[in-house]
Amino acid sequence: MPLTVEELAQTIDHTVLKPETTRSKVKQLCEEAMDYNFAAVCINAVHVEYAVELLKNSSVKVCCVIGFPLGATLSSVKAMETREVVALGAHEADMVMNIGALRDGNFDLVKSDVEAVVAASGDAHVKVILETGLLTDDQMIKACLLCKDAGADFVKTSTGFGPMGATPHDVKIMRETVGKEMGVKAAGGIRTFKEALRLIDAGANRIGTSSGIGIIEDYRWAQYSDSWMQPDKPCWTCPSRMANIAKQPKDVYLWYKQRCLTCPDKEHNVFTD
Amino acid sequence: MSDTSQQYSKAELLYVSLSDRTVTRKPIPKDLIREFLGGRGLGVKLLYDNLAPGIDPLSPDNWIIFAVGPSTSTSVPTGGRFVVITKSPATGTIFDSHAGGYFGNQLRRAGIAAVIVTGASDSPVYLWINDDQVEIRDASKVWGMNTGVTTDELIKATDDRAQVACIGPAGENMINLAAIITDKHRAAGRGGVGAVMGSKKLKAIVAKGTKSPGVEEPEKLRLAVERARRLIKKNGVTDKSLPVYGTPVLVSVVNELGMLPTHNFQEGTFNDADGVSGEKLLERLARKNYSCYGCPIGCGRMSHAGGKDVGGPEFESIWSLGPQCGINDLEWIAIANDKCNLLGIDTISVGSTIGCAMELVQRGKLEHSLKFGDTTGILELIEDIAYVRGLGVHLGKGSKIFAEHYGAPELAMQVKGLEIPAYDPRGVQGHALGYATSNRGGCHLRSYLIGPEVMGSPVLVDRDTTQGKADLVILYQNLSAAMDSMVVCRFTNFAWSVDDYADIVAAGTGLPIDGKELLKIGSRIWNLERLFNIREGFTKSDDSLPPRFSTPLSEGASRNRVAQIDVMLPEYYSLRGWDKDGNPTPKLLKELNIPIER
Repeated sequence: MPLTVEELAQTIDHTVLKPETTRSKVKQLCEEAMDYNFAAVCINAVHVEYAVELLKNSSVKVCCVIGFPLGATLSSVKAMETREVVALGAHEADMVMNIGALRDGNFDLVKSDVEAVVAASGDAHVKVILETGLLTDDQMIKACLLCKDAGADFVKTSTGFGPMGATPHDVKIMRETVGKEMGVKAAGGIRTFKEALRLIDAGANRIGTSSGIGIIEDYRWAQYSDSWMQPDKPCWTCPSRMANIAKQPKDVYLWYKQRCLTCPDKEHNVFTD
Repeated sequence: MSDTSQQYSKAELLYVSLSDRTVTRKPIPKDLIREFLGGRGLGVKLLYDNLAPGIDPLSPDNWIIFAVGPSTSTSVPTGGRFVVITKSPATGTIFDSHAGGYFGNQLRRAGIAAVIVTGASDSPVYLWINDDQVEIRDASKVWGMNTGVTTDELIKATDDRAQVACIGPAGENMINLAAIITDKHRAAGRGGVGAVMGSKKLKAIVAKGTKSPGVEEPEKLRLAVERARRLIKKNGVTDKSLPVYGTPVLVSVVNELGMLPTHNFQEGTFNDADGVSGEKLLERLARKNYSCYGCPIGCGRMSHAGGKDVGGPEFESIWSLGPQCGINDLEWIAIANDKCNLLGIDTISVGSTIGCAMELVQRGKLEHSLKFGDTTGILELIEDIAYVRGLGVHLGKGSKIFAEHYGAPELAMQVKGLEIPAYDPRGVQGHALGYATSNRGGCHLRSYLIGPEVMGSPVLVDRDTTQGKADLVILYQNLSAAMDSMVVCRFTNFAWSVDDYADIVAAGTGLPIDGKELLKIGSRIWNLERLFNIREGFTKSDDSLPPRFSTPLSEGASRNRVAQIDVMLPEYYSLRGWDKDGNPTPKLLKELNIPIER
């Protein structure tokens, strides 16, 4: 086992971001986060005050999403949202980047958008969600550099509402780009300990997931067999397999699919399972 | 009056000799609990030590044991099950067959760890266990009756709080497919265990107990159970899929992966799977959920079919009486399933054997009106099987003997004489190895690798690879043997890990059992079963699958694959600590504290 169960738990942002989330669900989330000693709970702004109260005597942080899930609101609105939730006690702010601006090549706007949130965050950490499924590798690298320049603490892969979840491929590039000084949070579609461990191995130091309990409980099986971590078919973890023309810009979709043509594991890509 | 809080270690072994009609009570040896827990392990140890090699399973020399375990009737979820252990007439192997319902609870409340039935009666009898009073009673009035009537009559004759485990006409007539039925529709179905009861003229065991089963460390168990219940509520399979759809939720899942055996495993995709799916059962026939004693999952169904309320049908029964035979009529399947329950027949084996007969007809090896997809005459044929009439004479022996009789043994989809259940092994390599190496023959529950290979529980592993599968099969076989000895339901496995079972059993028994020790107990049980089978003449060649699975399916999501048993078996033997012929080595037996026979 590369990590102990406790060490894996300490990487997890225990997450619930669905619109139908009730206070009782938030209460349950916080209690579970304390029981399992997760890194943080990741919630929407309306629940921050309640979560802060519930977690006041614990080491579990409160992480709030900002400009979520599209990132397409004004920088001033993102900044104000950040100021409000930090004032309510949030320790971390996971903002969504201005994705359209990045694709436009309007890098100043992307950077200033992040800077506005960083400036409003006080002592809270800022994580910037890139929504990697909407970007090519070059765009992702550029986004990472802009976030670093803007003073963000983390870059984060996905909202969980976008076209793709976190992949080891993306996390590896993000880690290589931002170096050791920044954090890399993998989020979106992470449901098993195998996926979590692969993402940590690729460079993630925080895992955002709504399956935290299952991941930790299932990880208890790992001590009884090394076979759980046997390599899967390479396509299973490749973002190109997840590409979806209905959810992605055409150019991004085609960029992903063209990678398949030169992939060294091309011979495995025969059937879809 | 009831004793207070009777621990499992103080429960008794009830020896019932039907030949001389005596009942003897003995305490459970302490080392037996430490080394075998109870349930399946207890039964395996007693049979290994007491049955002479080569006995006829249907002779008075065979024993049949009804056992519960340290979790039975306690606060442990699903702790109401019981297990039947005997030498199987269907396979010739040692055999354990399990049922839910409420009978296990009553047995344990009567202060009993196991009922060990030996010899045979001259005339039909049933056993009435009423707390400390045990009677061998005349059963001539219910002999010949179906399991529903038998249950009602025996409750009337004893106590309305009693529970019944009984056989139907199939068991009385000693057919290899005979099941033991409890609560009218829960079955210890497999291996012909009902025939062993029939051979002893034992129609039923009726039990009622008023004792309060206790545990050695109540506070420790309370905490373990609290956690176990929470995990069941947090798990998508145990809190959502199974309660909403029951086991038939698997029809669509397995079919989509191209491994729902169709037309006697000639295909892996059933075109009409939607019509026999869990979703369709919910929409058309299901009336309410059924929960066994102490079960928070409630995977059982009560359906309305043929104008009456019936139990089930479960996934395996839907498959065997449906796609295996090419049949897409869900209501008919529910009716046929009910008929099997009433007659006391194992649905898996009867459906699979009829499917085998249909292929024999298809290939011109058997002249009969049977035809894939056609229900005509099958309900009558099931009766013929139970009453040993017409073609039923041969069908009742199971697919292996049946197909051999018609000169096409390769058309029987069985391992060691037991019909393979509803997962085509070509689509799941680990599960395939589990079938081949199972100590009781073609069984999906000795090592349910459908969990990791299909359902991603606890984590998804590549179903096509052979790498690492021997290791996982052994893990699941050992854990399952331990679970069956606790005794708890297999479905807890989706929510609980090895450590959870260990915590529960440690609290229940007061023994220092952690996860590794629990698996060692499982390994001890598995190896003792293996030794029993070796003593009966089973060899490496029996750890195999029918030749069909060396030929790929031509269509569906599991096409172009074969079951690669030969690749995995040497590694399996090696990891088991067996020699190249599959015999446990003296070193291993010493480690497991199993005496070496000379």
